[in-house]
Amino acid sequence: MPPFEPDKIDKADRRDVVFPILFIVLSFLLLFLPVPAQQRVSAVLRGSVLLPFIWTQESVHQARVRTQDMASLQARFDTAVAVVSAQRTLVEENERLRSLLGLRERSGLTYVPASATRPGTPGSEGMFLLDVGSDDGVVVNAPVIVAEGLVGVIREVGPRTALAMDWTHPDFRVSVMTVDGGVFGVAEPRAGAFRGGDRLILNSIPFHTPVEPGAVVVTSGVQGAVYPRGIMVGTIADLAEEDASDAGWRRSYWLEPAAVPAGATHVLVLTGQVEGGGASVGDLWVTIDTLAVLENLGGAAPEGETFDQVPAATESGNAASGDPPEDEPDTTGPDGNPAGIPDAPAPEQP
Amino acid sequence: MRLSLLTWAVVISLPILHFLLHVGLGLGPWAPDLLTVGLLVLAREVRPSVAAGAGFVFGLLEDAFSILAFGTNTVALTVVGILGARSRDLFVGESLVFLVSYLALGVWLRYALQWLVSGSALRGPAAELLFQAPLAAVYSAGVGILILRVSGIWREERAR
Repeated sequence: MPPFEPDKIDKADRRDVVFPILFIVLSFLLLFLPVPAQQRVSAVLRGSVLLPFIWTQESVHQARVRTQDMASLQARFDTAVAVVSAQRTLVEENERLRSLLGLRERSGLTYVPASATRPGTPGSEGMFLLDVGSDDGVVVNAPVIVAEGLVGVIREVGPRTALAMDWTHPDFRVSVMTVDGGVFGVAEPRAGAFRGGDRLILNSIPFHTPVEPGAVVVTSGVQGAVYPRGIMVGTIADLAEEDASDAGWRRSYWLEPAAVPAGATHVLVLTGQVEGGGASVGDLWVTIDTLAVLENLGGAAPEGETFDQVPAATESGNAASGDPPEDEPDTTGPDGNPAGIPDAPAPEQP
Repeated sequence: MRLSLLTWAVVISLPILHFLLHVGLGLGPWAPDLLTVGLLVLAREVRPSVAAGAGFVFGLLEDAFSILAFGTNTVALTVVGILGARSRDLFVGESLVFLVSYLALGVWLRYALQWLVSGSALRGPAAELLFQAPLAAVYSAGVGILILRVSGIWREERAR
């Protein structure tokens, strides 16, 4: 019969009270850690213990992509070739007109293709992992897009992986406008009754500016915006609510999202001109006065004269990439159109 | 209280399988919550302090994939681990019904705690907790029982 040791039992009992309390306190402390510290902890875990699972994910995804229907890929390739050949003459014409107007080439955006997978763990709803990272030029706040439009934005970047959130995440916001530039607002997600029923809502639309259902909504790229202008976000579905409490000064509209995040397995991450976000593209946007100036000048800048007198309208940020020197300002819109002319409806696609 | 080698092997394998299914194969919600099942199995065998530590570590691993809800899984799994260990003092049973109820209730509790701890801006709709979470809990418990049965742990316990 083992000897009765009350001290030993007491010690074990005390341990079973103290340690659980300690762990609970520690876990609650994690909730209130500063976000950078939280990100550091999760990055360390993803880069060590969880790395084999992320590698597996990458391998499985690559294998899945390789075994995709070849006929479908061939059809897409043929379509792309047809589009490129049809637009070749347009490109030449565009270059010729630009040279006539004395405009610089429109600086293009660059993209990195990536595979997107979802952890599917509680608390990670609206997040997805990408197999590209800072080594590929991906930075925090880089937009993530698919052929249909905007999917989300990069939140954390590691050397070879990145964590992004899609538009269903409660923290997601995007500054948008209708494609004709008539209405500006902020699109944000609204949770549905169940996951998967989430929708986008376009907020803060002035009451006196009705928007027709079916209107195309793109990123506005206004000053301070994360996203460059022209990325497809969705189309107006119907009126969501009218704010009657403040004498009805604003309206909200439901948006039919262009891209479905759940179906996005292969995405593009915008890497060029991201620093400065909308400012980098918005820098090219000038007022409608420019059009008048162009008309007065007969469509071309006289020799020795530039369009210095044309004031830049909205953005003042100096984009790091592709901005003209100060003595050579640009008079084009973000899509290369003379200023004041709205963008073409089609979003910028790679 | 000493765990058999088999129990250790299963308790370690379940979280590995969980992350393999969720992250590695990207099955997402289609994959059962084997992390909580593993914790609940472990919690029945160890002291509350060890169960709390295991819950803390498991939760931290799960939180590595959530940004704005960081810490919620850790809190939930730590509490579930402690309650699982304490449940041994209250309930004794090795029947199939008891085991399924224990696992299902534990998994549902984990979802409920995680839902509660998440801020109001981040948490999903309440309907999710009342309809989806119980289904997910029963599903996880079912798969858990199957694994315990196949591995021989459950039979081992009945034979004791």
